[in-house]
Amino acid sequence: MKHWGLACLLFAACGGDDSNEFPTTSCADVTGTCQELPAGDPAALVTAANSIEANTTLVLGTGTFSMTGALTIRTDGAHIIGQGMDETIIDFGQSTAQSNGVDAQSDDFLLQGVTVVDAPKDAVRVEASVGVVLRDVKTTWTTPGDMTNGGYGLYPVKSENVLVEDCVAEHASDAGLYVGQSQRVIVRNNRVQNNVAGLEIENTQYADVYNNTATNNTAGIVVFDLPGNPIVGRDVRLRDNMIIDNNYQNFAPGGTVAVIPSGTGTFAMASRRVEITGNTYQGNKTVDIALISGLVVEDNQVMWELATADLQGRWDDLGLAAGATPNTITNFRQENVLVANNTHMGSGMDPDTGDPFMFGLLLGAAYSGIGPIDSVLYDAIGEPMFSSTDPLMNTNTNRMCVGGNTGGTFGSMNLPAQSTTNIIPFFRPAAPFAPFDCTALANGPVAEVILP
Amino acid sequence: MRAILPILLVAACGGDDGGGGVDLTKPVTVPEGPAPTNLSAFNLFAWNGTIEWNPTGDRIAPYDLNTPLFSDYALKSRAVYLPDGTSTAYSADAWFELPVGSVIAKNFLFPADFRAPDQDVTLVETRLLVRRAEGWTAFPYIWNAEQTDAVFAPGGEVRAISFIDAAGAPRTANYLIPQRNQCENCHERAGEKQVPIGIAARHLNWNGQLEDFAARGLLTGLPASAVPAATDFRTIEMNGIAGLSPTQIETAARSYLDINCAHCHRPDAVQGETSQLFLNYDNTDLFRLGACKRPGSAGAGNGGLEFDIVPGNPAESILQFRLETTQVGAMMPLLGRSLSHARGVELVRAWIEGMTPVDCAQQ
Repeated sequence: MKHWGLACLLFAACGGDDSNEFPTTSCADVTGTCQELPAGDPAALVTAANSIEANTTLVLGTGTFSMTGALTIRTDGAHIIGQGMDETIIDFGQSTAQSNGVDAQSDDFLLQGVTVVDAPKDAVRVEASVGVVLRDVKTTWTTPGDMTNGGYGLYPVKSENVLVEDCVAEHASDAGLYVGQSQRVIVRNNRVQNNVAGLEIENTQYADVYNNTATNNTAGIVVFDLPGNPIVGRDVRLRDNMIIDNNYQNFAPGGTVAVIPSGTGTFAMASRRVEITGNTYQGNKTVDIALISGLVVEDNQVMWELATADLQGRWDDLGLAAGATPNTITNFRQENVLVANNTHMGSGMDPDTGDPFMFGLLLGAAYSGIGPIDSVLYDAIGEPMFSSTDPLMNTNTNRMCVGGNTGGTFGSMNLPAQSTTNIIPFFRPAAPFAPFDCTALANGPVAEVILP
Repeated sequence: MRAILPILLVAACGGDDGGGGVDLTKPVTVPEGPAPTNLSAFNLFAWNGTIEWNPTGDRIAPYDLNTPLFSDYALKSRAVYLPDGTSTAYSADAWFELPVGSVIAKNFLFPADFRAPDQDVTLVETRLLVRRAEGWTAFPYIWNAEQTDAVFAPGGEVRAISFIDAAGAPRTANYLIPQRNQCENCHERAGEKQVPIGIAARHLNWNGQLEDFAARGLLTGLPASAVPAATDFRTIEMNGIAGLSPTQIETAARSYLDINCAHCHRPDAVQGETSQLFLNYDNTDLFRLGACKRPGSAGAGNGGLEFDIVPGNPAESILQFRLETTQVGAMMPLLGRSLSHARGVELVRAWIEGMTPVDCAQQ
């Protein structure tokens, strides 16, 4: 154990055991190089963050660090441990510089036991790092529903071996808890609320998302690929989450999420090998689960071409369609999805008709006089055959497997042929929803995520 | 850039050592190990309201860039130091590889009144890039209030700096003195720790600077002709873009975007790679340059607009919006700008305006 730094020089209680500033965690609880930083001295914290050697722990005291700029980390093995969510506050409300809140590039990075308030941009951005743990962290902005709030709360991106647990993310103008362009990810036991997108898995391979609660967001938990990103998303499991009352107004200033209708539980877009199982969906006023092609947000297929030489991670076994340009593949297709054993209650009663893609308007018209919107909707983009009535005249080439959902109904939308002035009735089969009655993904279930 | 010339050219102002223990009769020293507390430990230059670089052994070459990074109108004074007996080899395209022990120094200065840029000047900070055996490392220093020395300041600072601008208007910048970690935001490349940016032929090829490097023995292999050059922005800063041909505007705008944006917006950068918007001067892919390209995840940065560049229509172009706005969360570049750069904005707007119009929505 090595103690050093200002805290140890100025305070007698260097071990922290009998200090009321470090009641939960002190350097005495930490192996290796460690520095204790009392709240109220943000300059000392920033200086420490810019001076540490690899594999150093910074223990933050109880109270508020009122920051004038970002808390940056560019050292591997940096561990930042506060006294617990709501006990140690890193407040960027007085920050005049345009910057993220916590801004880290660090292999073996840990952020734990802090609340990050009012970051000018993203609250906790961890980029290009291998081994990331975010635990017991809250990200928030003090003005709800404000489009000038930072875009992302918890934002590990372009990283590998990511664990996000026991966190709270709220009031982000894009996504509260985002994991993107990453590989091997576990997201569990978090609460996301009052964000545009609550929890978002984007262009990510091998993600296990479970025991999270998403409530009062514009959309609860979403999974998608954006065009042009070299990681093709795959093997994402959403299980045993609570996705409830996600009816918050959409206050995104722009970007992909700005087009999401309020009242969306989950949408999966341009993704593959996705399992949505054992979740509870309740009171999402537009729709619980929408399965849609990437062409809905970008209809130019050239934009979805990816040079195979640029691709990262595993993709060769996915059977991705080739692009028109030689040596490219495309990933706009929504395919190979299992939606099973979820519980649906009271959703689809009052679709948001204001979204710019008129998705909600279409649903409102299509279900007018019929009743609640079906729990699971499929756009049927890419299906060679559609019939509003005859199961044998519908194809399921994209392999949507839907069934065994308590209170769950299913509708296939035939979206390419729809217009709000000429609604073609949806295909709304009774259970078991043939031809969408497969019960498992092609090529085996989603792989288990094992972090080293 | 006329403002910086008096600072650069004034030499040997007298015997005062400028405080802080600098002695210009002795050589530059580059201490091993962690950053020295005081900048004067390097013995690089004296500061008495003007900068006097250490002439000992003729190992320091002051320089200026053709088109510089905009930093809230800060004036900059730069020099490169190479150890005794060493030199760097010319490259037409790549950064010059500098030998271990080299130092690149960049001073950031604000005059009280830009109409008299060599009077009442405050030296705010000095950033050093030091070439160690393991690579480049960044040492940021902040000058004390007495202006006698600068102190190693890894935590940086955000400082309100007020000045009278070149048009006589009062301005206040929320000037960012970057944290040490933030140096990597611009100087990091994928697979490398940090790299210098300005030490390249196209940036330095101005007014005999490269010849000066060669004459001092610091640069070898300088060809007699065909040395690339970015646009000399000084005339645009002084006079604007009036009289420039469309081709000159395009070249100048590409030079401007290259030095201000391409440290991130290039294929081998860490942070900007995701955007797939590549503003390096040698990118020839119009789409990746932003034409009718939707942004990756610009969020608040898009200003309610749909495409990075709408050819012929700067008002509908996200790139123009982000360059121009002072809205926190939307400004580009991400770091180091709190004010809008009038001449840069004017130049890029003219470039986009001059493009053949395209209806991106119909593409």
